[in-house]
Amino acid sequence: MDGDRRNRLAALRADIRRLERVAGPVRGRLSLGDPRLDSALGGGLPLGQWHEIGGEGAEAETGAAPAAFAARLAAALLARPDQRGRSAVWILRRDDLFPPGLAGLGLPADRLVGVCARDEDEALAVAEDALASPGVGVVLAEVGAVDLTAGRRLQLACEARGGTGLMLLRRPFGGGAAATTGGTAAATCWRVSPAVSAPGPGGLGLGAPRWRLRLVRSRGGRTGDWRVEAGAGGGEGEADVAHPLRLVAELGDRDLAAPAALSAAG
Amino acid sequence: MLAAVSPDAAAAGLFPGQRVTDAQALRPDLVLAEAEPEADARALEALADWCVRFSPAVAPDPPDGLFLDIGGVAHLWSGEAEMAADLAARLARDGLTARIAVAGTAGAAWALARSPAAATCPQVLAPGRMEAEPLAPELAGLPLAALRLEPAAVERLSRLGLRRIGQLAALPRGPLAKRFGAGVLLRLDQALGRVPEALAFRRPPTPWFARLDLAEPVSAPEDLARLCRDAALGLCARLEASGRGARRFRLDFHRVDGAPVGLELGLSRPACEPDRLARLFLPRLETLDPGFGIEAVSLQAAEAEVLTPGQADLASLLEPVEGPEALAPLIDRLTARLGPRRVWRSRPLASHVPERSVRRTAALEVAAGPAGGWPAWRPRPLRLLPRPEPLEAVIALTPDEPPRQFRWRRRVHRIHLAEGPERIGAEWWRTGIEAVRTDQVRDYYRVEDQDGARFWVFRSGLHDHDRPVRWWLHGLFG
Repeated sequence: MDGDRRNRLAALRADIRRLERVAGPVRGRLSLGDPRLDSALGGGLPLGQWHEIGGEGAEAETGAAPAAFAARLAAALLARPDQRGRSAVWILRRDDLFPPGLAGLGLPADRLVGVCARDEDEALAVAEDALASPGVGVVLAEVGAVDLTAGRRLQLACEARGGTGLMLLRRPFGGGAAATTGGTAAATCWRVSPAVSAPGPGGLGLGAPRWRLRLVRSRGGRTGDWRVEAGAGGGEGEADVAHPLRLVAELGDRDLAAPAALSAAG
Repeated sequence: MLAAVSPDAAAAGLFPGQRVTDAQALRPDLVLAEAEPEADARALEALADWCVRFSPAVAPDPPDGLFLDIGGVAHLWSGEAEMAADLAARLARDGLTARIAVAGTAGAAWALARSPAAATCPQVLAPGRMEAEPLAPELAGLPLAALRLEPAAVERLSRLGLRRIGQLAALPRGPLAKRFGAGVLLRLDQALGRVPEALAFRRPPTPWFARLDLAEPVSAPEDLARLCRDAALGLCARLEASGRGARRFRLDFHRVDGAPVGLELGLSRPACEPDRLARLFLPRLETLDPGFGIEAVSLQAAEAEVLTPGQADLASLLEPVEGPEALAPLIDRLTARLGPRRVWRSRPLASHVPERSVRRTAALEVAAGPAGGWPAWRPRPLRLLPRPEPLEAVIALTPDEPPRQFRWRRRVHRIHLAEGPERIGAEWWRTGIEAVRTDQVRDYYRVEDQDGARFWVFRSGLHDHDRPVRWWLHGLFG
């Protein structure tokens, strides 16, 4: 009885290991611009995988802060020498992306192909198709949810050519959140919300945009909770693509992120 | 006025152009139907589309004629007579009476089709008979009206005793032109092939055409897919042999009941790979209604260009090719599946009005001119709402302070940082100066609320004590 149970447990553990190994080989890692961020990810954001980026609160509907974070990552990724000549494909459900804003975040319009899908299934199918195509470095898709099956398919598509997927979870205005089944095949899951910025030089105007990043799942890494700022280059509005993010404050565990620490950091 | 009469009515002595009252007096049991010239014209166009199964070059000849250019196609029926017989049989099966003639020129075919002999069986004027001296009796014996002449010209000629084409052709050309005008001579020359005649084809004639006839009609999706591939194989082999690729393809399935169903395909780059074409057509084959079955398929290519394949370097054989060339298959797949308007690349446009500062082009279109960017010193939002949404409960100091608080989509936002204004006016040079109004001016502010969410809001119009201030939200920064 006891040995039988042990055998079954061993078999189940082997199953879990096999399931966990759905992830294919990591094709390099993308530095987020700060060693503390990169260490939580095991050396940087793994490429050749797909990542889930969601918003919190109103951002789950508007999808502005998650899109900005994803655009910073995509810009840094396309700037790598091994991605020369590759494009980003941004799959939309609602046609409200504004390329001048993306250019301000470092993602040039001439390396971006926009696609407007008619429904959820089509958005996922296009994302899969694009990930498995040559000439595509990163695919950004705005979808309601990615279930386990769709996630596995995306992962296989990523492995085909080493493309990286950034799935932006966005729910329709006024609609409920998509049903989540729990499991996900994503390499990392992020929750992004805006954070109060520091005023610009001289205390006037707006500073560089800041986000609160919660890394809620990271395969082979730690979770985390940080406050980051878009790494700005020399000129106003010019983004530094080599260092997509600058760490402002490490909030650590969610429970320890007291409101007092928040305001001190801001 | 009678526009057309049935054979029975003609036998009873009725004729087109007769007054209705006269006709009714002659035959009290006359059945009348309103003439519908527009519907007739539409039916003729539909018939022209149907005729594509015989030749890609079909020109409607209103009110009741069709020209088919069958040069280089007739051998598919093993001869012109067989082809004409097939056409006649198919038309008869659909309940249409037709007079068919095949000749070396459009004018001669027109004349022969209207000869009495054509009413019973298709007429074929063998090649070489056109140039015969003297004129071949089939043509020479036809009345002058068969030359598509003005009725007035025919009457003047007949007063001189000229009633047959042969008589006209025997006359010296100089006096004929002087006496009856160049029109008569032109029609004669067109019929005899001395002068070329341009026909207005429904589709530009293309030499890149392939068709397959089936012994038995098919309707299963997998059969259609195989047909599509087979047609593509034939056409692409010819394209490839000439070193060309085409950008546009049109696939027509010809249904048993005569209704043509077709698909168009546009490629971002000229191509001649049959497998790729078949794959692009495949997802859309399901949208077609095969009706009672498909009995023929035709595929034609347009915008054929000479392919200039670059020398493939060794590295690209090992590594997948990068760059826009590598992206082309994906773009074609997406365009075929979603439609061309749903796949794009954005280009800057020199306009300070946000909605007009972006231009969408085809995803692989080469940018004309230098690919400049948008000015970096003008911060622009990541998401631009399709149309600005009104803000409610706005608290703002007049005349030009940014809002302190507003409500948008049932949420209250307290603003703690703001930047602006950036004044954006209408483009007065696009319309008359008198159309420009100060209430079209927008003052844009970038604002950040208590949570750090950033918005692009504007106040419309210049400050005016008599008018309530209106605020709008136009975009969201990430």
